[in-house]
Amino acid sequence: MTTMNMLRIVALPLVVILLATADLGGQETASRLATQSLKPYWHVFIAYAIVIVMVLGWVVSIARRLARIEAQLVE
Amino acid sequence: MSGKGIRLTGTALAVLGLVGIVAVYWLSFFWVSTEVNQGIAQRIFYVHVPAAWTSFLAFGMAAFTSGMYLWLRDERLDRAAVAAAEGGMIFATIMLTTGPLWGKIAWGTYWTWEPRLTFTLLLWFIFLGYFMVRNSTENPEKGKRFAAVVAIIGALDIPFIHLSVVWFRSLHPEPIVLKPDQPSLPGDMLTLLLTSLVVFTTLFLGLFLLRYALETLRAGQQARTREATA
Repeated sequence: MTTMNMLRIVALPLVVILLATADLGGQETASRLATQSLKPYWHVFIAYAIVIVMVLGWVVSIARRLARIEAQLVE
Repeated sequence: MSGKGIRLTGTALAVLGLVGIVAVYWLSFFWVSTEVNQGIAQRIFYVHVPAAWTSFLAFGMAAFTSGMYLWLRDERLDRAAVAAAEGGMIFATIMLTTGPLWGKIAWGTYWTWEPRLTFTLLLWFIFLGYFMVRNSTENPEKGKRFAAVVAIIGALDIPFIHLSVVWFRSLHPEPIVLKPDQPSLPGDMLTLLLTSLVVFTTLFLGLFLLRYALETLRAGQQARTREATA
């Protein structure tokens, strides 16, 4: 076996491993970054939704109680 | 102002406030700049701080009208107190739920027993007690008087909440708007914060008037029931 052939045998798996690990590393970083950047979005979304739910809940609650008392007063 | 006038004014202010909330949301997502260190999570600031301010205003109003009720024994003052206290509970709940969502991103924890959070939770529980005391006595007049005292005690907690960041070590920053020198907030952020404060206050005042009108109707109904049974 020539030296060149031996190099090819060793180099090919090495290149494959390096490419694979580089790719995995890239994916891992990307997924970690995605997790980091999406979590605050969710928190902002939930916080803004809480405001809407609480305020509209109070509006509906007042409206329903007003309607009920008005109905009772008409009777 | 007549009952109809109160309801009309309340409805107009509430509608204005709801439209204002939509405007604040739009400005928050599409206009104001993103804070460098905290990123998008800092946008919770534009609902958290106005909710806190509105709850303090509401609880302050509840305490003031309660004090006046104890002095003058005017039923209208008690109705105003209960309407303001209910609004205070709504906005304090918003403050206490949006704060931890922001805190998890900014501090890495939803809750910690630091002074401002503890005093704020205490305020929430005191006003929860306000409603419990109010409904737990057989004599409604006695319940109103006891509740009025609770409201005054509760409002005494508000200065502690504001000054706790100055007096104690706290995760909350020191005041950035309400301080002796100029507010240390960039122009667009300050503009949106002040807009949101006006919107939340308008919304609260509108719903407060409607809640007051409800309490007035309820009092009228109870008076009619008493007359009918007599």
